[in-house]
Amino acid sequence: MSLIPGRIATLFGGRRWRSLAPLAVLIVLCVLIAIANPNFIEVRNLVRLANSAAVPLTLAMGLTFIILMGSIDLSVEGTLSVSAMVVVLLAANDGNGNDYGWWAVLAAIVAGTAMGFVSGLVQTMLRIPSFMATLGMWFIGLGLSVYMLGGSAIKLNDASIRDLALHRFLGLPVAVWVAFGAFLLAAVIQYHTKLGRHILAIGGDEDVAKLSGVNVVRVRITAFALAGFFFAIAGVLAAAQLGQSHAVIGDGRLFAAVTAVVVGGTALTGGEGGVVNTLIGVLIVTVLANGMILLGISPYIQQTVQGLMIIAAVALSLDRVRLRIVK
Amino acid sequence: MKDTKNFTVNRRTLMLGATAGVATLAMPSVLRAQDKPTLVTSIRSLSNPYHAVWKTGAEAYAKWAGLEHVTLVSEGNSEKGIADIKAMLAKTGGNMVLNSDPNDTPDARPIVEACAKAGAYVVTQWNKPGDLHPKDFNPNYVSHIEFDGIDSGKTIAEILFKTIGGKGGIVALGGLISTTAAIERKKGLDAALAANPDIKLLDFQVANWKSTEAFDLMGNLLTRFGDDIKGIWAANDDMGSGALEALRAENLAGKVPIVGVDGIKTAVDAVRTGEFACTVTSDPFWQGGMGLAIGYNAKIGKFDPTKEPPEHREFYGKAVLISHDNVEEYYKTNVDAKPEIDWNDLWGRVTGAIRT
Repeated sequence: MSLIPGRIATLFGGRRWRSLAPLAVLIVLCVLIAIANPNFIEVRNLVRLANSAAVPLTLAMGLTFIILMGSIDLSVEGTLSVSAMVVVLLAANDGNGNDYGWWAVLAAIVAGTAMGFVSGLVQTMLRIPSFMATLGMWFIGLGLSVYMLGGSAIKLNDASIRDLALHRFLGLPVAVWVAFGAFLLAAVIQYHTKLGRHILAIGGDEDVAKLSGVNVVRVRITAFALAGFFFAIAGVLAAAQLGQSHAVIGDGRLFAAVTAVVVGGTALTGGEGGVVNTLIGVLIVTVLANGMILLGISPYIQQTVQGLMIIAAVALSLDRVRLRIVK
Repeated sequence: MKDTKNFTVNRRTLMLGATAGVATLAMPSVLRAQDKPTLVTSIRSLSNPYHAVWKTGAEAYAKWAGLEHVTLVSEGNSEKGIADIKAMLAKTGGNMVLNSDPNDTPDARPIVEACAKAGAYVVTQWNKPGDLHPKDFNPNYVSHIEFDGIDSGKTIAEILFKTIGGKGGIVALGGLISTTAAIERKKGLDAALAANPDIKLLDFQVANWKSTEAFDLMGNLLTRFGDDIKGIWAANDDMGSGALEALRAENLAGKVPIVGVDGIKTAVDAVRTGEFACTVTSDPFWQGGMGLAIGYNAKIGKFDPTKEPPEHREFYGKAVLISHDNVEEYYKTNVDAKPEIDWNDLWGRVTGAIRT
């Protein structure tokens, strides 16, 4: 049964069609929702969609590189909450007297990148699988934010940082432009740098990559630091959007990010997919959440619909016929 | 390969050593003092504002009473919560008073049984199975305290309806579907809606208690209903504040009133600026301190639990409403300063026995 979608895909032209499957899913989804509720294609709604996609997109950019390597980064929520905590505590806030303005943003990005760097070091130097290494970093980050924030929510009062969410440029909130910038940066890294090619090579087959002269350790550490960099930007955006930071600001973001990456067609086994897939994946997840509200689907079954969607998208986008082993 | 293996063993040994070291350090020296009872607070986490305030209240009482106080955090893990309490019972030889917010409903039974067996005094709050009663564990299980979710949900709904002039559409944001608090608060909303036929519930959606989810959800609801949304009912303040930020992003903050439950600082600030119509709080500061006070007074014989009426053994506490009318006063006494609570007034906030 599970092979049927794969077979249909193969019939209609195999791999090429399949790589377009997530895009097709996105288009079909948009058309169906627009027919059911024309409000969907209102400019105001498209702006809201872009706004909801900003944080998940930035997060998923970082995660894509890690998944492309065949690893996983579970520290998403920890790193995000550390970066949100740093920016709120250093910029004008209602918890202490600091007011370092945009230096706070810089510090948050440095903190996130450093956490990713440490994840990379732990994984390569201590030879701990990325799953465990980043799980550890997740809890370290969360613990750090809980401690620094004293368990409560601290309000962000710096107007210029809040403008990331509240100010609009060409009709879109600045946060959306930042997320778009993150996407462009990730695309350049993946398609036009040695680092991007090496990441793909490691995900495809690490031994071959090593024999071809790829410095696996260096690439891995750089990729984790890069992921931390993106998570940190997402943390700043989240703090700007919510106007506050508390330790659980990252709750649920890991799962959403992994879902977006996988639904976009990047294989969890690594070596296949990329940041463009992830962009589509994020849009699918965001459009679906928006559409379910527009269609008035009961909250009691929304999760079920999401689950079905994930299975359908993955079944369509990966060539299951070629997989000999499914774990 | 061999190197890696050796290294793994070393690391593991190191980790074991470190864990043992940390565990030893974590054992407070007060546990060896056996004369005065130790006050013990058992809560879910310190990463939410609610339990953080709870702990402050517990510490305030301990300081007032001149007793040692220990906080146990279950991190949402029932096994850990129960095991930590049993470890404390063993350390103190049962000479302790426990004020517990059990992580999950079934947890209350093993916690109470362990305390009764060790001779410790225990007060539970929020979660206990329906067939577990303080009177069955005399005198150790002193009291169980809850707050009437139906009442909270209804009170804030009525204030919201009044604020928007008694008619129009509202949207509601509910908590995690399966939790008692979410179910009860929604019942309260439904009751208020039934009494106000001119108010239309446009949609009820679930944001799982989180501001982040409420933020995205609110944007989507604005698309669907636009200007028809005259007010927002949120089952807790965190979701309410997420909805508020979504409104702010569209220049609607302050134009569409929001109500919530919990009384977190963000919400109190928003009540002051008029962006929230009201919030209602169970007063975690009081819960954290008074739970210990009730247990301690029973322990030292100030009152005999077996002789107390049923509404002192299982009761609803009085929730505090924070609205436009009293927010400045509340701010002065609860936010700018630490709340002053009369710790001798054990039963002052009893509103009645818990419904069965």
